[in-house]
Amino acid sequence: MSIDTYIIYGLALAVLIVSFVLDKKKTMKGIKKGAISLLKILRILVPLIFIIGILMVIINPDVITSALGEGSGILGYLFAFVVGSITFLPAFISYPLGAELIEAGAGVPQVAGFLVTVMSVGVVYISAEIKYFSKKATLYRNLISLIGAVLVVLIVWVVF
Amino acid sequence: MGGVLMKKFMKKNRFFVIAALGLIVLAIVDFSLSIKALEHSYSSLKSMLLVIPPIFVLIGLFDVWVERETMIKLMGENSGAKGMLIAFFVAAFSAGPTIAAFPIAAMMLKKGAKYTNVLFFVMVWSTLKLPIVIFQVSTIGLKLTLIINITMLTVFVLGAIVANKVFTETETKALEEKAQAI
Repeated sequence: MSIDTYIIYGLALAVLIVSFVLDKKKTMKGIKKGAISLLKILRILVPLIFIIGILMVIINPDVITSALGEGSGILGYLFAFVVGSITFLPAFISYPLGAELIEAGAGVPQVAGFLVTVMSVGVVYISAEIKYFSKKATLYRNLISLIGAVLVVLIVWVVF
Repeated sequence: MGGVLMKKFMKKNRFFVIAALGLIVLAIVDFSLSIKALEHSYSSLKSMLLVIPPIFVLIGLFDVWVERETMIKLMGENSGAKGMLIAFFVAAFSAGPTIAAFPIAAMMLKKGAKYTNVLFFVMVWSTLKLPIVIFQVSTIGLKLTLIINITMLTVFVLGAIVANKVFTETETKALEEKAQAI
Protein backbone atom coordinates (compact mmCIF):
# COMPACT_ATOMS: atom_id res chain seq x y z
CA MET A 1 0.00 0.00 0.00
CA SER A 2 1.32 3.42 -0.89
CA ILE A 3 1.30 6.48 1.32
CA ASP A 4 -1.54 7.87 -0.82
CA THR A 5 -3.78 5.01 0.20
CA TYR A 6 -3.11 5.55 3.91
CA ILE A 7 -3.86 9.26 3.60
CA ILE A 8 -7.18 8.68 1.83
CA TYR A 9 -8.33 5.98 4.24
CA GLY A 10 -7.30 8.08 7.24
CA LEU A 11 -9.17 11.08 5.90
CA ALA A 12 -12.28 9.13 4.90
CA LEU A 13 -12.39 7.40 8.28
CA ALA A 14 -11.99 10.66 10.21
CA VAL A 15 -14.72 12.39 8.18
CA LEU A 16 -16.95 9.35 8.46
CA ILE A 17 -16.66 9.24 12.27
CA VAL A 18 -17.34 12.97 12.66
CA SER A 19 -20.28 12.74 10.27
CA PHE A 20 -21.69 9.72 12.06
CA VAL A 21 -21.49 11.41 15.44
CA LEU A 22 -23.19 14.52 14.08
CA ASP A 23 -25.97 12.85 12.10
CA LYS A 24 -26.36 9.13 11.59
CA LYS A 25 -29.12 9.38 9.00
CA LYS A 26 -27.35 11.96 6.89
CA THR A 27 -24.19 9.85 6.98
CA MET A 28 -25.98 6.78 5.66
CA LYS A 29 -27.52 8.88 2.90
CA GLY A 30 -24.05 10.17 1.96
CA ILE A 31 -22.56 6.69 1.83
CA LYS A 32 -25.41 5.54 -0.37
CA LYS A 33 -24.91 8.49 -2.72
CA GLY A 34 -21.18 7.77 -2.90
CA ALA A 35 -21.80 4.10 -3.66
CA ILE A 36 -24.17 4.98 -6.50
CA SER A 37 -21.64 7.34 -8.13
CA LEU A 38 -18.95 4.69 -7.72
CA LEU A 39 -21.04 2.04 -9.49
CA LYS A 40 -21.80 4.48 -12.31
CA ILE A 41 -18.11 5.07 -13.07
CA LEU A 42 -16.92 1.46 -12.60
CA ARG A 43 -18.64 0.50 -15.88
CA ILE A 44 -16.20 2.71 -17.70
CA LEU A 45 -13.21 2.29 -15.43
CA VAL A 46 -12.94 -1.49 -15.36
CA PRO A 47 -12.59 -2.02 -19.13
CA LEU A 48 -10.15 0.91 -19.23
CA ILE A 49 -7.93 -0.91 -16.75
CA PHE A 50 -7.77 -3.84 -19.17
CA ILE A 51 -6.94 -1.58 -22.12
CA ILE A 52 -4.17 0.04 -20.07
CA GLY A 53 -2.86 -3.42 -19.14
CA ILE A 54 -2.49 -4.23 -22.84
CA LEU A 55 -0.79 -0.90 -23.58
CA MET A 56 1.64 -1.36 -20.69
CA VAL A 57 2.82 -4.66 -22.10
CA ILE A 58 3.45 -3.14 -25.52
CA ILE A 59 5.07 0.02 -24.17
CA ASN A 60 7.22 -1.39 -21.37
CA PRO A 61 10.14 0.39 -19.61
CA ASP A 62 12.67 -1.21 -22.01
CA VAL A 63 10.89 0.24 -25.01
CA ILE A 64 10.64 3.63 -23.30
CA THR A 65 14.33 3.64 -22.35
CA SER A 66 15.50 2.85 -25.87
CA ALA A 67 13.12 5.37 -27.42
CA LEU A 68 14.07 8.23 -25.09
CA GLY A 69 17.84 7.77 -25.45
CA GLU A 70 20.23 10.73 -25.43
CA GLY A 71 20.64 10.70 -29.20
CA SER A 72 16.98 10.02 -29.97
CA GLY A 73 16.45 13.57 -31.25
CA ILE A 74 13.09 14.86 -32.38
CA LEU A 75 11.61 11.36 -32.54
CA GLY A 76 12.55 10.86 -28.90
CA TYR A 77 10.64 14.00 -27.93
CA LEU A 78 7.62 12.94 -29.93
CA PHE A 79 7.72 9.49 -28.39
CA ALA A 80 7.99 10.99 -24.89
CA PHE A 81 4.85 13.05 -25.46
CA VAL A 82 2.87 10.29 -27.14
CA VAL A 83 3.69 7.60 -24.57
CA GLY A 84 3.25 10.01 -21.66
CA SER A 85 -0.07 11.23 -23.01
CA ILE A 86 -1.64 7.80 -23.40
CA THR A 87 -2.36 7.18 -19.75
CA PHE A 88 -2.01 8.54 -16.24
CA LEU A 89 0.57 6.81 -14.08
CA PRO A 90 0.75 7.34 -10.31
CA ALA A 91 3.78 9.31 -9.10
CA PHE A 92 5.21 6.38 -7.17
CA ILE A 93 5.58 4.51 -10.45
CA SER A 94 6.41 7.29 -12.93
CA TYR A 95 9.08 9.16 -10.94
CA PRO A 96 11.28 6.18 -10.04
CA LEU A 97 10.91 5.16 -13.70
CA GLY A 98 11.99 8.67 -14.75
CA ALA A 99 15.06 8.52 -12.50
CA GLU A 100 15.92 5.08 -13.90
CA LEU A 101 15.50 6.32 -17.47
CA ILE A 102 17.93 9.20 -16.89
CA GLU A 103 20.42 6.81 -15.31
CA ALA A 104 20.05 4.43 -18.25
CA GLY A 105 21.10 7.23 -20.60
CA ALA A 106 17.79 8.75 -21.66
CA GLY A 107 17.84 12.50 -22.34
CA VAL A 108 16.72 14.68 -19.41
CA PRO A 109 14.36 16.89 -21.50
CA GLN A 110 12.68 13.82 -23.01
CA VAL A 111 12.19 12.28 -19.58
CA ALA A 112 10.79 15.56 -18.24
CA GLY A 113 8.31 15.68 -21.14
CA PHE A 114 7.32 12.09 -20.44
CA LEU A 115 6.87 12.74 -16.71
CA VAL A 116 4.71 15.83 -17.15
CA THR A 117 2.42 14.28 -19.76
CA VAL A 118 2.12 11.02 -17.84
CA MET A 119 0.79 13.00 -14.87
CA SER A 120 -1.48 15.43 -16.65
CA VAL A 121 -2.52 14.14 -20.08
CA GLY A 122 -4.60 10.97 -20.18
CA VAL A 123 -5.93 10.05 -23.60
CA VAL A 124 -7.16 6.65 -22.40
CA TYR A 125 -9.23 8.41 -19.73
CA ILE A 126 -10.80 10.91 -22.13
CA SER A 127 -14.06 8.96 -22.19
CA ALA A 128 -14.29 9.07 -18.39
CA GLU A 129 -13.42 12.77 -18.33
CA ILE A 130 -16.08 13.57 -20.96
CA LYS A 131 -18.63 11.67 -18.89
CA TYR A 132 -18.06 14.05 -15.99
CA PHE A 133 -17.50 17.26 -17.95
CA SER A 134 -17.76 17.89 -21.70
CA LYS A 135 -15.79 17.24 -24.88
CA LYS A 136 -14.59 20.82 -25.01
CA ALA A 137 -13.63 20.91 -21.32
CA THR A 138 -11.71 17.63 -21.68
CA LEU A 139 -9.90 18.77 -24.79
CA TYR A 140 -9.05 22.10 -23.19
CA ARG A 141 -7.59 20.62 -20.01
CA ASN A 142 -5.49 18.07 -21.88
CA LEU A 143 -4.31 20.70 -24.36
CA ILE A 144 -3.24 23.14 -21.63
CA SER A 145 -1.32 20.33 -19.92
CA LEU A 146 0.36 19.42 -23.20
CA ILE A 147 1.40 23.04 -23.75
CA GLY A 148 2.86 23.00 -20.23
CA ALA A 149 4.80 19.84 -21.07
CA VAL A 150 6.26 21.41 -24.22
CA LEU A 151 7.36 24.45 -22.19
CA VAL A 152 8.95 22.23 -19.54
CA VAL A 153 10.89 20.38 -22.23
CA LEU A 154 12.14 23.65 -23.76
CA ILE A 155 13.23 25.02 -20.38
CA VAL A 156 14.94 21.79 -19.33
CA TRP A 157 16.65 21.63 -22.73
CA VAL A 158 18.09 25.15 -22.19
CA VAL A 159 19.00 24.68 -18.51
CA PHE A 160 20.54 21.18 -18.59
CA MET B 1 -33.43 -7.28 -35.17
CA GLY B 2 -30.39 -9.23 -33.98
CA GLY B 3 -28.17 -6.71 -35.71
CA VAL B 4 -29.79 -3.81 -33.91
CA LEU B 5 -29.42 -5.50 -30.54
CA MET B 6 -25.82 -6.35 -31.32
CA LYS B 7 -25.12 -2.77 -32.30
CA LYS B 8 -26.69 -1.52 -29.09
CA PHE B 9 -24.64 -3.94 -27.03
CA MET B 10 -21.43 -2.93 -28.83
CA LYS B 11 -22.15 0.74 -28.27
CA LYS B 12 -22.97 0.36 -24.59
CA ASN B 13 -20.00 -1.85 -23.90
CA ARG B 14 -17.56 -0.58 -26.49
CA PHE B 15 -14.64 -0.40 -24.06
CA PHE B 16 -15.17 -3.99 -22.99
CA VAL B 17 -15.25 -4.96 -26.66
CA ILE B 18 -12.04 -3.03 -27.40
CA ALA B 19 -10.31 -4.60 -24.39
CA ALA B 20 -11.42 -8.11 -25.36
CA LEU B 21 -10.33 -7.65 -28.99
CA GLY B 22 -6.97 -6.26 -27.86
CA LEU B 23 -6.38 -9.24 -25.61
CA ILE B 24 -7.32 -11.69 -28.36
CA VAL B 25 -4.95 -10.04 -30.85
CA LEU B 26 -2.18 -9.96 -28.24
CA ALA B 27 -2.74 -13.65 -27.43
CA ILE B 28 -2.44 -14.56 -31.11
CA VAL B 29 0.79 -12.56 -31.50
CA ASP B 30 2.36 -13.79 -28.28
CA PHE B 31 0.39 -15.71 -25.69
CA SER B 32 2.73 -14.89 -22.81
CA LEU B 33 2.22 -11.17 -23.49
CA SER B 34 -1.54 -11.47 -23.07
CA ILE B 35 -0.99 -13.20 -19.72
CA LYS B 36 1.34 -10.37 -18.74
CA ALA B 37 -1.29 -7.81 -19.77
CA LEU B 38 -3.90 -9.57 -17.65
CA GLU B 39 -1.50 -9.69 -14.70
CA HIS B 40 -0.88 -5.98 -15.08
CA SER B 41 -4.61 -5.27 -15.29
CA TYR B 42 -5.25 -7.42 -12.24
CA SER B 43 -2.71 -5.57 -10.12
CA SER B 44 -3.98 -2.13 -11.18
CA LEU B 45 -7.57 -3.26 -10.67
CA LYS B 46 -6.63 -4.36 -7.17
CA SER B 47 -4.93 -1.07 -6.31
CA MET B 48 -7.79 0.90 -7.87
CA LEU B 49 -10.46 -0.98 -5.95
CA LEU B 50 -8.43 -0.34 -2.82
CA VAL B 51 -8.06 3.39 -3.32
CA ILE B 52 -11.42 4.35 -4.84
CA PRO B 53 -14.03 3.40 -2.18
CA PRO B 54 -12.87 5.93 0.45
CA ILE B 55 -12.84 8.64 -2.22
CA PHE B 56 -16.47 7.96 -3.05
CA VAL B 57 -17.39 7.87 0.63
CA LEU B 58 -15.87 11.35 0.88
CA ILE B 59 -17.77 12.49 -2.22
CA GLY B 60 -21.06 11.18 -0.83
CA LEU B 61 -20.51 12.86 2.55
CA PHE B 62 -19.45 16.05 0.77
CA ASP B 63 -22.75 15.94 -1.08
CA VAL B 64 -24.91 15.70 2.04
CA TRP B 65 -22.94 18.08 4.27
CA VAL B 66 -21.65 20.93 2.13
CA GLU B 67 -24.32 23.58 1.51
CA ARG B 68 -24.59 25.06 -1.95
CA GLU B 69 -24.37 28.58 -0.51
CA THR B 70 -21.07 27.74 1.20
CA MET B 71 -19.57 26.38 -2.00
CA ILE B 72 -20.71 29.40 -4.02
CA LYS B 73 -19.18 31.72 -1.45
CA LEU B 74 -15.89 29.83 -1.41
CA MET B 75 -15.40 28.88 -5.07
CA GLY B 76 -18.36 30.35 -6.95
CA GLU B 77 -18.70 32.92 -9.71
CA ASN B 78 -17.57 35.88 -7.59
CA SER B 79 -14.97 34.12 -5.47
CA GLY B 80 -12.09 35.67 -7.45
CA ALA B 81 -8.52 34.88 -6.38
CA LYS B 82 -9.82 33.30 -3.16
CA GLY B 83 -11.64 30.64 -5.20
CA MET B 84 -8.46 29.75 -7.06
CA LEU B 85 -6.42 29.65 -3.87
CA ILE B 86 -8.90 27.29 -2.25
CA ALA B 87 -8.88 25.09 -5.38
CA PHE B 88 -5.09 25.06 -5.23
CA PHE B 89 -4.81 24.11 -1.57
CA VAL B 90 -7.50 21.44 -1.62
CA ALA B 91 -5.83 19.83 -4.65
CA ALA B 92 -2.26 20.20 -3.35
CA PHE B 93 -3.08 18.56 -0.03
CA SER B 94 -5.03 15.71 -1.55
CA ALA B 95 -3.94 12.22 -2.41
CA GLY B 96 -5.04 9.78 -5.04
CA PRO B 97 -4.91 9.15 -8.79
CA THR B 98 -5.96 11.86 -11.27
CA ILE B 99 -9.00 9.84 -12.26
CA ALA B 100 -10.29 10.37 -8.69
CA ALA B 101 -10.14 14.13 -9.18
CA PHE B 102 -12.89 14.01 -11.83
CA PRO B 103 -15.82 12.95 -9.60
CA ILE B 104 -14.65 15.31 -6.84
CA ALA B 105 -14.46 18.16 -9.35
CA ALA B 106 -17.92 17.28 -10.67
CA MET B 107 -19.23 17.40 -7.10
CA MET B 108 -17.77 20.91 -6.73
CA LEU B 109 -19.56 21.93 -9.94
CA LYS B 110 -22.78 20.42 -8.65
CA LYS B 111 -22.53 22.57 -5.53
CA GLY B 112 -22.03 25.77 -7.52
CA ALA B 113 -18.27 26.17 -7.82
CA LYS B 114 -17.11 28.17 -10.83
CA TYR B 115 -15.94 26.00 -13.74
CA THR B 116 -12.54 27.64 -14.13
CA ASN B 117 -11.79 27.06 -10.43
CA VAL B 118 -12.78 23.43 -10.81
CA LEU B 119 -10.60 23.12 -13.91
CA PHE B 120 -7.69 24.61 -11.97
CA PHE B 121 -8.37 22.13 -9.17
CA VAL B 122 -8.11 19.14 -11.53
CA MET B 123 -4.96 20.46 -13.18
CA VAL B 124 -3.22 21.08 -9.85
CA TRP B 125 -4.34 17.67 -8.59
CA SER B 126 -2.86 15.94 -11.63
CA THR B 127 0.61 17.43 -11.32
CA LEU B 128 1.30 19.47 -8.19
CA LYS B 129 -0.01 17.39 -5.28
CA LEU B 130 2.27 17.54 -2.24
CA PRO B 131 2.82 13.76 -2.08
CA ILE B 132 4.03 13.97 -5.70
CA VAL B 133 6.40 16.84 -4.96
CA ILE B 134 8.05 14.91 -2.14
CA PHE B 135 8.47 11.99 -4.51
CA GLN B 136 9.83 14.21 -7.26
CA VAL B 137 12.62 15.70 -5.14
CA SER B 138 13.80 12.30 -3.96
CA THR B 139 13.86 10.72 -7.42
CA ILE B 140 14.68 13.34 -10.05
CA GLY B 141 16.31 16.01 -7.88
CA LEU B 142 15.39 19.52 -6.76
CA LYS B 143 16.37 21.35 -9.95
CA LEU B 144 14.15 19.33 -12.29
CA THR B 145 11.36 19.35 -9.69
CA LEU B 146 11.44 23.15 -9.50
CA ILE B 147 11.43 23.56 -13.28
CA ILE B 148 8.49 21.20 -13.72
CA ASN B 149 6.39 22.61 -10.89
CA ILE B 150 6.96 26.33 -11.45
CA THR B 151 6.32 25.97 -15.19
CA MET B 152 3.20 23.87 -14.75
CA LEU B 153 1.77 26.10 -12.02
CA THR B 154 2.21 29.14 -14.27
CA VAL B 155 0.61 27.35 -17.22
CA PHE B 156 -2.30 26.13 -15.07
CA VAL B 157 -2.99 29.60 -13.62
CA LEU B 158 -2.93 31.13 -17.11
CA GLY B 159 -4.98 28.22 -18.47
CA ALA B 160 -7.67 28.79 -15.85
CA ILE B 161 -7.75 32.54 -16.49
CA VAL B 162 -7.93 32.09 -20.27
CA ALA B 163 -10.72 29.51 -19.77
CA ASN B 164 -12.93 32.38 -18.56
CA LYS B 165 -12.85 33.66 -22.14
CA VAL B 166 -12.86 30.29 -23.92
CA PHE B 167 -15.98 28.90 -22.24
CA THR B 168 -19.28 30.72 -22.72
CA GLU B 169 -21.83 31.06 -19.96
CA THR B 170 -24.06 28.54 -21.71
CA GLU B 171 -21.24 26.02 -21.76
CA THR B 172 -20.37 26.39 -18.09
CA LYS B 173 -24.07 26.23 -17.19
CA ALA B 174 -24.31 22.98 -19.15
CA LEU B 175 -21.35 21.59 -17.19
CA GLU B 176 -23.06 22.46 -13.91
CA GLU B 177 -26.28 20.87 -15.12
CA LYS B 178 -24.48 17.68 -16.10
CA ALA B 179 -22.83 17.50 -12.69
CA GLN B 180 -26.23 17.26 -11.00
CA ALA B 181 -26.45 13.67 -12.22
CA ILE B 182 -23.28 12.29 -10.62
